[in-house]
Amino acid sequence: MDNDIDMESAVTQLNRSTVPDAWAESVRLVAVKRDRAAFQVLYKHFSPLIRAFLLKSMGSGANRSEAEEITQEVLIKVWNKAATFNPAKASVNTWIFTIARNTRIDFIRRNDRNNREIDIEDIWHDAESPEPLVDMQQRRAEQVIKQAMATLPEEQVQVLYKAFMEGKSHNEVAEELSLPLGTVKSRIRLALNKMQILIDR
Amino acid sequence: MVSFHPDSKFLTDFAAGSLPLSEAVCVAAHLEFCGKCRAHVQQLSDVAAQMMVRLDPVVDDNDGFESLMQRIESSDPAPAGQVSNIAAKAAVSATGIPRVVEKLAGGSLQNLNWVKLGKSLRIAPMDIGCKSRQTAIYDIKAGRPMPEHEHRGEEITVLLKGSFSDADGKYVKGDFVVRYAGERHQPTATLDTDCICLVSLEQPVKASSWWYRLMEPFVQYRLSGFSR
Repeated sequence: MDNDIDMESAVTQLNRSTVPDAWAESVRLVAVKRDRAAFQVLYKHFSPLIRAFLLKSMGSGANRSEAEEITQEVLIKVWNKAATFNPAKASVNTWIFTIARNTRIDFIRRNDRNNREIDIEDIWHDAESPEPLVDMQQRRAEQVIKQAMATLPEEQVQVLYKAFMEGKSHNEVAEELSLPLGTVKSRIRLALNKMQILIDR
Repeated sequence: MVSFHPDSKFLTDFAAGSLPLSEAVCVAAHLEFCGKCRAHVQQLSDVAAQMMVRLDPVVDDNDGFESLMQRIESSDPAPAGQVSNIAAKAAVSATGIPRVVEKLAGGSLQNLNWVKLGKSLRIAPMDIGCKSRQTAIYDIKAGRPMPEHEHRGEEITVLLKGSFSDADGKYVKGDFVVRYAGERHQPTATLDTDCICLVSLEQPVKASSWWYRLMEPFVQYRLSGFSR
């Protein structure tokens, strides 16, 4: 157990060395106190962003009222799952994005009238990292990503945007931009490399 | 040591949520074995989150906060202070099979409908409601070869247990191996233990031996018969 305590203090120190996450305290208050005011702060900031993301990513079949319904679903999950948020592992931004992404995948499946019941969170789940120090490296990587993103050339931003915000696969992006698949892949990889996300393949 | 990983295309499409389900299950199974790829997926999610917070906000004319709170309060499962204690999920379950695979198999691989194909191989199709691909678990007996086969479409294999080798090398637990259309190979399970794989197939595999070709209509029949 001594080991755990050492780890904890190391994490606390590392936490101080990174930029504080302004939204983490609000999520904590929602988790521990079921604090309406704190939740309203999150609601005000994030619901217009979640709505914007869903309108872009739910495909041409999605109308405004569907996007609204899914936005509400995402916010209900934020309230219900607040206690599972781990500030050492991810920022509130990333945590809320993953909830929105999973809710969107679920919506698309339901819309396909798929009769096989699957809990999307079984597949796209928060992988628990057993090592807190790895988590901290993660949090610092996030700062690098934030800074580097502002410097990316337009053609790289475009493919990243289509992949992440419009929810298009590499193949779909290639088709839409009339580019070879290899070009889309290499543009994304160049952008990721600049953000210090170094995937070997 | 895991040494074959999904490439940037698989990881990006997974993090963005656009990877078809059958392939996503393969990536998720690999992630349970591989901390490095888990970290990459987390970073890719950070990229997506940074893009999301830079979107032009779409503000709804009527503030829906009060009606949202009403919805929440009429069905709130977790009252104040009661922090649901989500136990840290062990990456891999006690059986050594990734949790995502056991969950989708209804708790255990035993629950699947296994089809025996000769002495060395049995296959259990998995219904995950993915139209573009077939998903199945292969169980190859220790030391036995699978029939040599050629791929008509892309095939992803994730090694869940044991190891196998083919002309290109040896693969161990956690490895994520992709074969493309037109490649031929004959995997053989290593001598000491049975080999269990998760396989996602774009098109049914074309067997090159007469034996497997004879079996193929049967396999197709059984595979389609079991998918609901």
